[in-house]
Amino acid sequence: MLENFSFRTIVEYLPLFGQGLVTTVWLSALSFVGALVVGIVLCAMNLQRGWLFRAPAKAYIDAVRATPLLAQLYFLYFGLPRVGFVLPELVVGILALSLNSGAYIAEIIRAGILSIPRGQVEASVASGMTYAQRMRLVVLPQAFKVTIPPLLGQAIVLVKDSALLSLISVAELTRAGQLLASDRFMPAEGFLTIAAFYLLLYYGLKGLAVVSSRWLGSAGARA
Amino acid sequence: MTANPKGPANMTQPNPTKTGMIDFRGVNKWFGALNVLKDITLSVKPREVVVVCGPSGSGKSTLIRCINGLETIRDGDLVVDGQRVGDPATNMTQLRTEIGFVFQSFNLYPHKTALENVTLAPIHVRKIPRAEAEHAGRELLAKVGLADKVNAYPAQLSGGQQQRVAIARCLGMRPKIMLFDEPTSALDPEMISEVLDVMVAVAEEGMTMMVVTHEMGFARKVAQRVVFMDAGAIVESGTPDEFFSHPKTDRSRAFLSKILRH
Amino acid sequence: MIWQQFLSLAGSYPLALRGLGMTVVLSLISLVLGTLLGFGLGILRTGGNRLISGVIGAWVDLIRGTPFLVQIFLIFFILPEFGIELDAFTAGIIALTNLAACFICEIVAAGIRSVPTGQVEAALASGLSRWQRMRQVVLPQAMRIVLPPLVGQYVLLIKDSSVVSAIGLTDLTRVGWLVVQRVPNGLLVFLLVGVGYFIVCYPLIMLARRLERRMGAAHGEVQL
Repeated sequence: MLENFSFRTIVEYLPLFGQGLVTTVWLSALSFVGALVVGIVLCAMNLQRGWLFRAPAKAYIDAVRATPLLAQLYFLYFGLPRVGFVLPELVVGILALSLNSGAYIAEIIRAGILSIPRGQVEASVASGMTYAQRMRLVVLPQAFKVTIPPLLGQAIVLVKDSALLSLISVAELTRAGQLLASDRFMPAEGFLTIAAFYLLLYYGLKGLAVVSSRWLGSAGARA
Repeated sequence: MTANPKGPANMTQPNPTKTGMIDFRGVNKWFGALNVLKDITLSVKPREVVVVCGPSGSGKSTLIRCINGLETIRDGDLVVDGQRVGDPATNMTQLRTEIGFVFQSFNLYPHKTALENVTLAPIHVRKIPRAEAEHAGRELLAKVGLADKVNAYPAQLSGGQQQRVAIARCLGMRPKIMLFDEPTSALDPEMISEVLDVMVAVAEEGMTMMVVTHEMGFARKVAQRVVFMDAGAIVESGTPDEFFSHPKTDRSRAFLSKILRH
Repeated sequence: MIWQQFLSLAGSYPLALRGLGMTVVLSLISLVLGTLLGFGLGILRTGGNRLISGVIGAWVDLIRGTPFLVQIFLIFFILPEFGIELDAFTAGIIALTNLAACFICEIVAAGIRSVPTGQVEAALASGLSRWQRMRQVVLPQAMRIVLPPLVGQYVLLIKDSSVVSAIGLTDLTRVGWLVVQRVPNGLLVFLLVGVGYFIVCYPLIMLARRLERRMGAAHGEVQL
């Protein structure tokens, strides 16, 4: 049983957990920005007519979706030095998360753009807009609203996925838990504490999703 | 405000042994603060056909949905086929098998063929052998003029055809009572008569029926009584001739002038 | 040099097959158990009992809110403190089954809620019992909504099974990790590992897409 559960040890290790939490937050944020860039580029390629851009984008998205993040992480971690890029674990981790989430975000944005009714495009064509004007003035503003909730969902997934970086020794939140578990043989204290911290982040992002959907809902009603 | 139906069919004895097929006695229902059924007293005899009409929101759908327990009542008594609705001692599932209910929006099961829609409850509730249920189901579908649509799915049928399947689905349970909740309101005009014809045939076989509808032709043809509701209360009740030719209240006159104009 | 690596890699194929086998067995067992449990939970979640529904919802939230790696560590390292001794395989099955059940529970609940109330009323009106309504009317219709994300969930489950390598189970990912210690070509080794997962997952992804498209078409049909 957990009768030896030691809150004192947790308090003692609190600075370590704090650092881990902060690292998890900023590396997730950075990875999310990277994933947005990757996703937008992939989506733009995927919406082209010719196969020259579409085929590689589709292949990349399928390859990422059909393989585990952990294998992708090891691929970069053990593979990059092989081709001459010796990077810190943290950079490899952010790269892996960005490249992985980017593939999912590309699909989210594409679904958002495709959700705009044909009539909207036809109306803007009829009023003489160019492709760029159509995208900028009609399609993207509407697609934006549709994509925010699933993007926040992807952010939640990304934060949880970042736990895998502990397996390549990045000093984030899960790593802090592992340290406490192995230093003091206190797995309960270590892993329950980080679980609580992850839940904090989860409910924070979930709350944001609720607020944003309410805000977007009312914005939709105004429009 | 209290309804006092004057029709010849009215029976108000509280004696539970001498009740009609459907007996409302002082029934009230609220949605939140809204009194949607106000002190309803109404008795329907076996083999009687009662048409319920009134403006939208008058509580007429709620009234018949109470009979098979799709809505619960707050106070008063509702006795159907000798059993008190809402009483813990009453087996509602059993009682519902005696009551057919036809919905405005048909509510056919989209994943089942016309025949499967008709035979589902007989097979699973009445425990009738499949072959026998299917034989009976084909006969019922033939009776409503859909012998050639036995294997069609609801999505392949017109609205009028779907509603006829829905009626056959109810008849398959050999109910004692049939309730119709605006059965033709969701239909295109040219399909209304095919459904009404089937309903007339059911009425002429002696079924006890309560029909929420504005189809006055149907009411004149088969109803013994028309009940007019407004704002949750029964305002007027009488034979179709009395009601259509000599409406007694301002509200019923206003209502009739609106629906007869079309 | 490269040739030697190839030979060495070729020599590890029995290990690779074992790893692939482990990944498939882990995924398959927890997929079956997780589906059964998930459907049960999903039906209870939409049933009338608020307390049961609330407890299930809270548990699902806990599982969705924490990384799977942390869940595995918790099960593997903490259950023994309650006197439940687990080997890594059992711990992996429990963790994966629980994860799958929680996500499938929400998928099933959403499917059940998508069935129009008129359908339940019609079933109620013809005297079908609670179980008959679920079995004959609600679930068959809910399945159209449930199926595409369910298959998608299976893909996620297979991929998540790679995380159990962290507690030492020799699955496909763990094999890659072991081989790369001997053959220092991470690109090649994990490319092959990726191909292994791709072969299992990609057909399922295609299936999920087909189901989704067919769903869309079917929806158009039902419109009156």
